[in-house]
Amino acid sequence: MSNDLKNKKFLIVDDFLTFRQAMKQMLVSIGGNDIDTADSGENAIREMEMKSYDIILCDYNLGTGKKDGQQVLEETKHRNLVKYSSIFIMLTAENTMPMVMGAVEYQPDDYLIKPISKEVLRSRIERVLKKKADFEDIEKAIDNKEYMSAIALCDERVTKNPGNMLEYLRLKSNLCLTIGRYDDATEVFEMVLSMREIPWARMGLGKVHFFTGGYLKAKEIFQSIIEENRTFMEAYDWLAKTLHELGSLEEAQKILLRATEISPKAIVRHQKIGKISQEINDHDTAEEAFRSAIDIGKHSCFKSPVEYAGLAKSLLKKDSPEEELSVLGTARNEFRGNRDALLQTAVTEGIVYKETNREEEARKVIDEAAKILNGMSGTIPVEATMDLAKVCFDMGDKETGTKLMRDIVRNNHDNEQVINMVQDVFTDATLEDEGQKIISSTREEIIRLNNKGVRLVEDEKYEEAIEYFKKAAGGLPDNKIINANAAHALLIYMDKKGTNDQYIYQVLQYLEKVKMIDPSDEKYQKLLNLYEKITTSKTHQGA
Amino acid sequence: MGDKKLIDFEASLASTTHDMKNSLGMMLNSLDEVVNNCTAENCPSHRHLLHMQYEANRLNNNLIQLLTLYKMDNDQLSMNISHYSVSDLLEETLLQSRPLLEYKDIKISVDCPDDLYWFFDRNLVLGVINNVLNNAFRYAGDRIVVRADELNGCLVISVVDNGNGYPESMLGSSVQTNRAVSFQSGNTGLGLFFASMVAMMHKNRDREGYISLSNNEENGGGCFSIILP
Repeated sequence: MSNDLKNKKFLIVDDFLTFRQAMKQMLVSIGGNDIDTADSGENAIREMEMKSYDIILCDYNLGTGKKDGQQVLEETKHRNLVKYSSIFIMLTAENTMPMVMGAVEYQPDDYLIKPISKEVLRSRIERVLKKKADFEDIEKAIDNKEYMSAIALCDERVTKNPGNMLEYLRLKSNLCLTIGRYDDATEVFEMVLSMREIPWARMGLGKVHFFTGGYLKAKEIFQSIIEENRTFMEAYDWLAKTLHELGSLEEAQKILLRATEISPKAIVRHQKIGKISQEINDHDTAEEAFRSAIDIGKHSCFKSPVEYAGLAKSLLKKDSPEEELSVLGTARNEFRGNRDALLQTAVTEGIVYKETNREEEARKVIDEAAKILNGMSGTIPVEATMDLAKVCFDMGDKETGTKLMRDIVRNNHDNEQVINMVQDVFTDATLEDEGQKIISSTREEIIRLNNKGVRLVEDEKYEEAIEYFKKAAGGLPDNKIINANAAHALLIYMDKKGTNDQYIYQVLQYLEKVKMIDPSDEKYQKLLNLYEKITTSKTHQGA
Repeated sequence: MGDKKLIDFEASLASTTHDMKNSLGMMLNSLDEVVNNCTAENCPSHRHLLHMQYEANRLNNNLIQLLTLYKMDNDQLSMNISHYSVSDLLEETLLQSRPLLEYKDIKISVDCPDDLYWFFDRNLVLGVINNVLNNAFRYAGDRIVVRADELNGCLVISVVDNGNGYPESMLGSSVQTNRAVSFQSGNTGLGLFFASMVAMMHKNRDREGYISLSNNEENGGGCFSIILP
């Protein structure tokens, strides 16, 4: 086995020179050959950008005011800086987890406590490598979006490999959740819980309740998890989400604030506190939260324009327009070349200028924002678009505002929540009746458009249907039904006439879109089955 | 009474312990290197080096325990229970105790079914077993057996030696927390306290883990067991 290590590319990340040297020596003595070191998380990322490492040994504590090990791990995975066969081992000085464990996808492959002897190091590395190999084909299936096959593989492994039983079950339940198979997920969670009270399985049951609208039940579960495991951070986030759905915004804010006391470095949580605080007009807390997010963002790959726009908005309530504009200026700089960011900043600047009666400047940034929005292909950010529409209405620009709202309706014609928000914006702009008319006519337009395509499929004019839906989905990138039917047309065609890679690729794009919008959609479930039926029979022919 | 103290002694102790542990970690790394370069044949101080390694390991275990207890006390400890192979766990404890083995010429063996899997917090249980082994090396005689099996729905891991056994006052199950602390005898009982805390934190349904100390009827050797539901 130690021969294997000879061909592995190692990266050691630690801020202490002596430790880096000791670790390097240790790796050499167990057969390592290609070993690089980095003295900070920032430098580690730079190294990983240039070279694809197989094994990363990273200390958790990398000095104050710098990226920590968890942030290095998050960025590594988030930016796909390593292959999925690579392993990431976190080293800590204590025998307790650096708590604050993030989401499942951002967990290291193993934790090691310093100091560590070379025998233990070797045995752990070998074990993790072996485990990675055991999961490889499942990971590949997931990569290919063959979720059903991945689930089947998990089932098969659970019985064969009791050592990784829990991990297979966890992976399977996660897959079931992402593709909206809530009953199957529940079955796994209950099975695990029948063996042992494991927090993630209990969490899972809560999530299923959440997804299926059982918010009260979900709330109860998340609360009980927190009571039992004060440091299980995921439960706080889900509890807050649930409370939000239940309309208890103050309580949700309180839960998130409690969570940041325990785990202060999760940037996304600060963003959420900021947003929720704005909703309940607690602008001081909002300001503080967005400032924390900006601060943490200096070391995190999850920094986003959200906290800058948020901070600017909460400053607006405090009457300090100049500071707001400078915050937004920083954001423009920070996220140069990022259209989403530019859009959000421009919209927020528009709001600031409007509120401070600088009509001319407001006009300028609004035009800029509209232009960016026009040039965007793919997903249209609902929130920013709505904000922009509001400013337009405020400034008396009914035409642009209406056009923006119509775009939102076209892409979300069957999403009641979004439609209600749209109606609210119209009502606020004292355009209630007109808004209603626009909404219903736009909805009818989409339904007509969709029906025409469906008829083409029914008439077995598949090629025509494929082209038709492709065009429709291009213009309506976020419309669930159009995307689902575009996938359907391709699948039916392939089912009758055989598969081709280009179509498979397109189907996947559409299916992923639908999954993002609503994974529990019944049509999506059917399409997923059809997709896997077609692709697996294809591999069989090839074999 | 009631006056605010100049320093928060507990917190300072914790952060200093942390710092000491870091230094000790570095020292252990270097020592590991030295021991590897100086074999018994070419270095007359080899045994001394091994002794240093042994004592440094003891120190390290103690510091880990202190830090863990501090966290427990402050409600900052998060359990991470998962499903592990028990024989893998025991194998790892042996790897860690290797230098001690060589130093004391003690024979150690593991008796554990290959297909035994259990739910526990790996790092915490590792800490307990390492610590018990460390002590056993002091009092063990020349043989240690680490045994694991399932009994009445519990995982039982025992460390059995052929030394002089535990003193009468320490015997029994659910070792009382402070009873064993005796600064005069140099045995603070911290290790056992730690072990029983870790055991108790392993709960399953309405059952709670515990530890038990006994002496072998045949040879009088000591037997430490941790029982996890």
